[in-house]
Amino acid sequence: MSQLLLILFIGSFLVYLLTRMNWIIGVLANIGLAIYSFYRLFTFKVGTSESIFSLIVNQNGTLVYSELSKFFGIISLIVAISVYFFLINWLEKQKNRAVFNFFLALITASTLGVFFSGDLLTLYIFWEIMLLFSVLLVQMGKEDSKKAALNYLTISLIGSYMYLYAVFMLWNRYGTLVIKDIVQKISVETSIFKWAVLILIAAAGIAKSGIFPLHTWLRTTQGSSPDAFSAILAGQLEKLGAYMLVLTVAVFPSLKMFPVLYGGIPVFNYVLIVLGMISILIGTLMAIKQNDMKMLIAYSTVSNSGYILIGLATMDKIGFAGGLFHAFNHAIASVMIFLSFAAVIYRTKTSKIDEMGGLIWKMPLTFITYLVGIISLAGIPPMSGFISKWMIFVVLVKKGMFLTAAAAFIGSVGSFLYVFRPLAGVFLGQLKSKHKDVKEVPIFMLIPMLVLVVITVFFGVIPGPVLNMITAVEKELNIQPLEHTMTVIKSSVGQWNTLTVFTMFAVGFIIAFILYMVFPKAKRIPLTNQYTAGEFLYNYDLYHYSTRFYAFFERLYEKHPSVEKLYEMFGKFFKDIGEFLNRWFYSASPSAYLLWFSIVLLAIFWVRW
Amino acid sequence: MTIFKVAAVLLTGFFVGLTLEGIARKIIARVQRRYGPPWYQNFIDVFKALSKHGFSHGWIFDFGVLMALGGVIATLSFVPLGNLVAFPGLDNVFVVLYLFAVGALGMAMGMVGSGNPNASIGVARALTQMLGYEVPYLVSLAAIIFYYKTSSISNLMNLQADSWNLFKMPIGAAVAFISLMGMLGKKPFDTPIAPAEIASGPMVELSSKYMGLLMLMHTFSIFVEISLFVDIFLGGGSYLVFLLKFTVVWIIATLISAVLPRFRIEQVVKFYWRVPLGLAFLQAFFVLIGWVF
Amino acid sequence: MSYERTIWEKIADNLRSRSMWMLHYCTGCGAVELPPSMTSRFDMERLGMGPMATPRQADIFLITGYLSVKTLRRVIYTYEQMPDPKYVVGFGSCTINGGIYYDSYATINRVDYYIPVDLYIAGCMPRPEAIFEAFTELMRMIRKGEAIGWKKYKENYEWYKQNQLKSLGEVYVHDEFHE
Repeated sequence: MSQLLLILFIGSFLVYLLTRMNWIIGVLANIGLAIYSFYRLFTFKVGTSESIFSLIVNQNGTLVYSELSKFFGIISLIVAISVYFFLINWLEKQKNRAVFNFFLALITASTLGVFFSGDLLTLYIFWEIMLLFSVLLVQMGKEDSKKAALNYLTISLIGSYMYLYAVFMLWNRYGTLVIKDIVQKISVETSIFKWAVLILIAAAGIAKSGIFPLHTWLRTTQGSSPDAFSAILAGQLEKLGAYMLVLTVAVFPSLKMFPVLYGGIPVFNYVLIVLGMISILIGTLMAIKQNDMKMLIAYSTVSNSGYILIGLATMDKIGFAGGLFHAFNHAIASVMIFLSFAAVIYRTKTSKIDEMGGLIWKMPLTFITYLVGIISLAGIPPMSGFISKWMIFVVLVKKGMFLTAAAAFIGSVGSFLYVFRPLAGVFLGQLKSKHKDVKEVPIFMLIPMLVLVVITVFFGVIPGPVLNMITAVEKELNIQPLEHTMTVIKSSVGQWNTLTVFTMFAVGFIIAFILYMVFPKAKRIPLTNQYTAGEFLYNYDLYHYSTRFYAFFERLYEKHPSVEKLYEMFGKFFKDIGEFLNRWFYSASPSAYLLWFSIVLLAIFWVRW
Repeated sequence: MTIFKVAAVLLTGFFVGLTLEGIARKIIARVQRRYGPPWYQNFIDVFKALSKHGFSHGWIFDFGVLMALGGVIATLSFVPLGNLVAFPGLDNVFVVLYLFAVGALGMAMGMVGSGNPNASIGVARALTQMLGYEVPYLVSLAAIIFYYKTSSISNLMNLQADSWNLFKMPIGAAVAFISLMGMLGKKPFDTPIAPAEIASGPMVELSSKYMGLLMLMHTFSIFVEISLFVDIFLGGGSYLVFLLKFTVVWIIATLISAVLPRFRIEQVVKFYWRVPLGLAFLQAFFVLIGWVF
Repeated sequence: MSYERTIWEKIADNLRSRSMWMLHYCTGCGAVELPPSMTSRFDMERLGMGPMATPRQADIFLITGYLSVKTLRRVIYTYEQMPDPKYVVGFGSCTINGGIYYDSYATINRVDYYIPVDLYIAGCMPRPEAIFEAFTELMRMIRKGEAIGWKKYKENYEWYKQNQLKSLGEVYVHDEFHE
């Protein structure tokens, strides 16, 4: 593993140089690296561990290859490979190609590093590498992306410093940072210590996957980062958050560490479930309001991270599997959606829903990608997204957690609402006259999108392979494995067969198609031939309903409290303090400097003696 | 064997569904002191619509209609009708309810694909209304699944042999019935297709066979929705008993809708999230503490 | 006057005659007689008829009253949006000869010149009894394959278009006020 990571880190410098020479070769090298590491993931033996360099005394950095790292590694590499393929055409319009590519390669390398880490410090180092380069990538986007990057950095740092504090606490207590050793010792500790450590560790995951209250960075960051990078952010980086949450609830055995409450769920996990519920509600309701399509999906990420968290935190065999599978599905679906958005923005140069319309006639394949993506994201049967949502619903209902279940149902039905907005506003409806000459995106942008479509449909019909990986993870983490076959998913409250559902859908479609063919053929008329109550229209741009699509529903929660505003208030407070101090301590006159200098000197002497 | 069962379910949906829609028109007519159309009027309407030469707004319009009908046919085949169960054990409640959404999504997509803003408004309203009624409905179903420890519809149906859920969990049944009214899109919850406001909403650009196929889809959806209610709340029984219960529920829903005006869309959501959702939680609480008759 | 029909078309015509969905173009005063024909007293629905919201869904097009030059444009537009087969019913004397407004500069005196009318209902205004008489007649015509205005419109499209253009004239300013 250390060898793979070394290859990746050195390779990324190579990618940089190659991209400087010829950017297409650079992108291809990047794809090559990713595919190579994807292949290597299957060659490693699960359970092997290696020692690497040591940073602190008596503490070797360790890398461990587990089923969990394999599962998350596969997700992140599928995402990475498809986005890199997309770059072959997309990168042409980007300015700093070499740096872009270099950072992407480093992010993939450090992401794998996080998944491989066997101790908390190594994990932290890779985590910070990933954070640093992702911040640098975010600010390469639109004009306001600098501010967004700062926002992202601040909130991520809150998470990672809290994590670091937990690391210090553990080091102080045990003198070791190897996860395996800590896990064995921690369950006998005082409850305050356990709570503190786990909450601090979970904070990193919460910040990264965009769970309430640290979800505010997602809107601006996703909204203004480079379009292809948004896909990486949603598919690869936010799954690091999911990994961290798995670490907190399952690798640290929350079942043994905390008293078990209603439904057999540890009390610590209840806190997480409540956060997950709030995230689902916030994500859903805010996504419905957005006008920028990338921000809309960013909020949907908040909501889906809530699902992942709830699924994982139930610690039940179905729920945990549902959480993991939802991480997989959400990664694939959000990459599909962000790539199709990137394709749209590549052609139309805008991400505002109400500035577009009717693009389906110009970009049909992009539309299909988006369609399959949203069907999976919203959890509608023939795609894989439904399977994981079903598992989460089942576990919530089985345990009788009705409030959480209601939040999950709102999020699920609400997702129909918000995913439909870009569908209706961007792809369907009247084509704007300024987009008359828009073409479908080039072939290399289409290939990864369509491959992802195939993956989503395939795992929706035959989820067996992914479920096998998930059960392996569950076995490793001492959770009872999910019962399933290739196409049948079983739970204690009933089962269903994905293949039957798909077959019946196909049969239904064929019946409908036969009826459609038997009866007289319809005449194809242009979209401008509309029922207008007899009125003649000349500007069909205006005959497209996309601005404030759900205005009547938005009105119900117009005056909602906003965490974002609260944080802005904090930010302003600190800024004011800073300005105050600035005025007092950094005045321009030399005499003031002399004064402070002498005070400091005196203080030092006083301390010395 | 499964094939014949599926065919039987679909044919039942077609014949019974269309007949009962005709009967509902007759009932509404009688409530309004009219004579009303013959009971087979809806058969005539569907086939007349199918026989016309209409207009298409491009492939997404066609595809949306096909997906709508296909999705609903798929959903219908999973619904148990009394002792006629096509897929015993595999007829999971959530699967049926979410497979149902495929049809809704297909219809929404095709209709918005027609490019008429009336259709978009109608679809936006329909989805919002869905957000309204699905949540209380799913919570009341969740209480039942929690109580019986199974989410298979046919099992739920058979487990009510001693007493119907309507009597065991009357609040939940009431919630489900109110949600059912919203699902059926009957007054007072017919905001999405309000003909006088938004020119029948999603259906604004539908001509000829598209209209016919969507009418079939509508019939099948009504059949699925009421069948779910009957299966889950009104116990099991033979095929004919099921159809009898079905007719009774359908007639009650029709009678209620015949005398009510229409809600505005935000009133729909507010209503559903206030009264039925609260009642659904109450029912869930009763189930948790074991107050089931 | 009737065309050769296949057996399927005969069946379809039979169905069409028993399920007529109306679109009413309520320009004039004729529309006041429609509500009584639809509601309890006369109950149009027993014949399978009912009002529809848009021309796409409708089978018969009721022109209830006189047309002006401005509204004729809308009528033609709407008529062309209806799916085949479609039937036009002219309500009252205004559609036949202009009625009491026959000598106005803006009145269209004969709708027949611009779109094919299958059936006229005389009267100013026709009472619901007359309307029902007309609808049963229209049903008979459809069943027998005699209501073929939509075919005539297709065959004589040039002629109709010429008449329409002659009456409407050229439109110079394209916005909603001048059409």
